[in-house]
Amino acid sequence: MKLLHEPLSGRSQAVLGIVGTVGAAAVWEGVIRSGLLDVPGLPLPSGVIAGVADLVPDGTFWDQVLFTLGEWMLGLVIATVAGVLVGGLMGAFSSVFLALEWPVEAFRVLPSVAVGPILVLLIGQGMLPLSLTVALSCVWPILLNTMYGVRATDTTAVMTAKTFGNGELAVLRKVKIPSALPFAFTGVRIAASIGLLVAVSAELLIGGGNGIGGYILENSANATNLDLVYAATLVAGLLGVLVNLVMAKLDDVVFGWKKGLAQ
Amino acid sequence: MTETSAATAGTSAELLLDAVSKSYGDNLAVRSISAEVPASKISVIVGPSGCGKSTLLRIISGLDNPTSGQVRFEGDPVDGVPEGLAMVFQDYSRSLYPWMRVDKNVEFPIKHLPAKERAERVRFAIEEVGLTHKEKLYPWQMSGGMQQRVAIARALASHPKLLLMDEPYASVDAQTRADLEDLLMRIQAELGITVLVVTHDIDESVYLADRIIVLSSPPSVVAEVIDVDLPRPRDHIATKTDQRFVEIRSHVTRLLRSKEPAATA
Ligand SMILES: Nc1ncnc2c1ncn2[C@@H]1O[C@H](COP(=O)(O)OP(=O)(O)O)[C@@H](O)[C@H]1O
Ligand SMILES: [Mg+2]
Repeated sequence: MKLLHEPLSGRSQAVLGIVGTVGAAAVWEGVIRSGLLDVPGLPLPSGVIAGVADLVPDGTFWDQVLFTLGEWMLGLVIATVAGVLVGGLMGAFSSVFLALEWPVEAFRVLPSVAVGPILVLLIGQGMLPLSLTVALSCVWPILLNTMYGVRATDTTAVMTAKTFGNGELAVLRKVKIPSALPFAFTGVRIAASIGLLVAVSAELLIGGGNGIGGYILENSANATNLDLVYAATLVAGLLGVLVNLVMAKLDDVVFGWKKGLAQ
Repeated sequence: MTETSAATAGTSAELLLDAVSKSYGDNLAVRSISAEVPASKISVIVGPSGCGKSTLLRIISGLDNPTSGQVRFEGDPVDGVPEGLAMVFQDYSRSLYPWMRVDKNVEFPIKHLPAKERAERVRFAIEEVGLTHKEKLYPWQMSGGMQQRVAIARALASHPKLLLMDEPYASVDAQTRADLEDLLMRIQAELGITVLVVTHDIDESVYLADRIIVLSSPPSVVAEVIDVDLPRPRDHIATKTDQRFVEIRSHVTRLLRSKEPAATA
């Protein structure tokens, strides 16, 4: 296979992407219609699209989408604040790093969704336990990226700030954290996708019928509504793609200066 | 072995190095350095690569401690970064903050001042280095020479009494370097700052200096202190063809060529 050395233009990338997606859906449709694969409950792409068409005018569905988005954003904000703060301190001070290294390693491997029911027991139903579940899974890439970003701060940049009379904390605030923010944001981008997945999964488990997950759960109880369930899943996926695009754009606009970071 | 001419008699020593030494583990980087840096003059430390020039500047600026000996700035022993000091590094791209535009970089050391004074100092400093109308660029959008001008403007904005420069022009092209050397001498004459430049370039040391402190190869000691009486303002053609310039340059070259570290007392 010939390697592509020249990056494709944005337009031909988009065209190829659409051709690939539509092609895959068409093959899938063909496989099922021809009876090659005969399993009850498998979705027909045409049926799913019809399901999306049914969802679009359904106000209650969009309320649930908004709920999921709000829950996800709250979780992501909590994770970002906590991750940048703790990661920054761990990166800057070896005493903080040593004190928190093991707790972080221990909490990091906990499946956050499993913590959900405990949170409900502690603080009751609602958006907060869902957002905290999201935050618990989102915080790690942000924390670790910020920590490594702070550690990677250029020593000349740090010495410069010190010669202007800045102490350790001022250097952390004025130089190390800002120069680590592009790394932290890469963590936020990773966390954003994870967070959306976890948000919907957590709703399936402890959503109490709220959010996209709640919607899927209620409608999948009725086997005739399966197309609607698949459609809702598709919308959740599209939401993820959209979030990624927005984040990439934000990265370009807010952290365009990172090309000025010394290599 | 130290010759100090009458030229600096009567001027006070702003900075005093008293038997400063520095070891890194078993590696004795700086053996014992004693020197006086006169106030409101340009002094240049010249020495071969690796002889401890950067180490010495870090100690003078209070970023690092000497293993023995001490530094006095305006009579007080240096313990931590003293007030009234600014440093310009060779590596401008690492020393400037890439997330700040030029004006914000220049404002960095004076954030605690009232807005009006801040704006005035930033405007003045940027004008001094000839970067008016470039304030809204990011450093990484500028040439190396312009970035080093930003770093100098930032130092000026802090109103330093002592300006330290670590091989400030080692990473720019020859023409830019000549321009920046003249810029430094003009600003120093205008503002009367005490300047201490470190370089490995002999021509540059003689051209800039009122006083040259020649370091031996490591573990370094002061090989000689030379007071340069070439007239000011200096000029790249007239000064560098002056017989005295040629003599001093030859003398410094001979000192640096002799491979043996100078004997200690
Ligand atoms: N942080 C450090 N740790 C260990 N050795 C160092 C350190 N900084 C400098 N040195 C050593 O001290 C000597 C002088 O270095 P430096 O001050 O950078 O010289 P110069 O600036 O004159 O080139 C070198 O041998 C160098 O390897
Ligand atoms: Mg050096």
